[in-house]
Amino acid sequence: MRELELYFGPQHPGMVGNFSITLKVEGDRILEAIPNPGYLHRGFEKLMELRNWIQNFPFVCRINVIEPDSMEAVYAMAVEKLANIEIPERAKYIRTIVLELARLASHLFGAWAYANMLGFDTPAQWAMADRDHILDLFEELTGGRVYHIYVLPGGVRRDLPDGFEEKVMHFLHALAQKLPDYNETFFENRIFYERAKDIGKIKKEEAIEWAATGQVLRATGVKYDIRKVEPYLVYDKVEFDIPTRSDGDAYSRILVIRDEMLESAKIIMQCIEKMPKGKVYERTPNPFKWKIPKRETYVRVESSRGELGLYLVSNGGNAPYRAYFRTPSFNHGLFILPRLLKGSSIADVGNIMISLYVVAPEIDR
Amino acid sequence: MKMRMNKELKRKIEEIYKDTRVEFPERNRMVVKTKKENLLPILEFLKSEEFRQLKAISCVDWIEEGEFELIYQVTSLNSPLHIMVKVRIGRENAQIETIIKIFENAQVYEREIHELFGVKFRGNPGLSPLFLENWQSIPPFRKDFDTREYVKEVFDKIPRVESENEKS
Repeated sequence: MRELELYFGPQHPGMVGNFSITLKVEGDRILEAIPNPGYLHRGFEKLMELRNWIQNFPFVCRINVIEPDSMEAVYAMAVEKLANIEIPERAKYIRTIVLELARLASHLFGAWAYANMLGFDTPAQWAMADRDHILDLFEELTGGRVYHIYVLPGGVRRDLPDGFEEKVMHFLHALAQKLPDYNETFFENRIFYERAKDIGKIKKEEAIEWAATGQVLRATGVKYDIRKVEPYLVYDKVEFDIPTRSDGDAYSRILVIRDEMLESAKIIMQCIEKMPKGKVYERTPNPFKWKIPKRETYVRVESSRGELGLYLVSNGGNAPYRAYFRTPSFNHGLFILPRLLKGSSIADVGNIMISLYVVAPEIDR
Repeated sequence: MKMRMNKELKRKIEEIYKDTRVEFPERNRMVVKTKKENLLPILEFLKSEEFRQLKAISCVDWIEEGEFELIYQVTSLNSPLHIMVKVRIGRENAQIETIIKIFENAQVYEREIHELFGVKFRGNPGLSPLFLENWQSIPPFRKDFDTREYVKEVFDKIPRVESENEKS
């Protein structure tokens, strides 16, 4: 059979996001897959060197469009470490709530993308609608729906509005009540099972060798989560599990994502219960004159996709000397994805890519 | 227990490899500063000590010292320790041995640094451009690349769209 070259994306009905893959195919079989990123390269890391410490907040959140809060948090935590700032206890709890709400929103968006791509329109629309409820909560808390610029060095921008906790609790209960419907129409649906089972399979050894993180690693049975390895904020004061599966295929990965949503809900409820009263912001120096001593740090958090790290260097100036974001999608999308695509069929390209939970803006930065 | 293991690791590395300094700048972080000749043996040693994940490679341009600093970030599944192996190389004709034989996924990180800083990784076959297309200028993440000047130069050349009123 003749070998053909096929351009999959960025303008392709099966592609999600601004990403493209060049496929070498023979019939329906993929012989080789070459990821081709760069459609969203904005050079944020370079631009950050030209702006002062505070001016970078509207930048960093845009690195991951779907889950901006973990980007803000990791940058704020790095600046705090460099400048030796301790944040108030209440701010830690609020940040944890924001991060977990963001994880929920991101997982619902991921469920939408996956369900939508495979033609499960009904649960897809539910997931999108439920994500919108979280965006409503974010709008009330921060004034913005998608980008919040809420976490700042020293704490968070403002305290929770009146009655916010009740609204969050109400949403979590409503979501939990819907879970059986989601299971029936999507997660435990026979058609979905057949479509995702044994697709894009990674062995445990491979996941470890390839430095996979997040669901990709946990779906192979490895219990590894930065929230447990190196607890930040208040993750050592709340109880939660790290869901794992052992098959390492697309179906295992989506089930890990589903189970994580429940854990996130558990964390948020405990935070609301335990949250102390007090101030939420520690005053920081005048942002235009703020200089940070010559120092460097590596800060890591567990974003909804895996380990998110920031290597931040200051040379004593009023702007970062160098910022490097270690994003989970970079490794998953550029290194692991082509290895999984080799030997699979054209119909499974989008399936495998979404099951790895790859977001293009995070790769290009 | 963990503390003792970290100290043991420090002792071993400093004993085996010359011109190598090991520091613990903060909790769960270890910095290994070494010469480029030691890079591969140290990474291989760390891998044999269960530090099997290469999480990233970063690069910093210390232009005043005329050097690039490469930071190899390595972790383990059994330890919370995050190790940063640092190597400095000259900015002029910057090149260093690839590590893909030890950590396969270094491939993509080396490709990124090659494009953005112009560091050549000897022995890495896949150093084609990653994000940029038809890039003509010096590598954009170097400190001597002026982003604002570049934007002016490139985008001011694009002809304006004349409105209908101006034409008549």
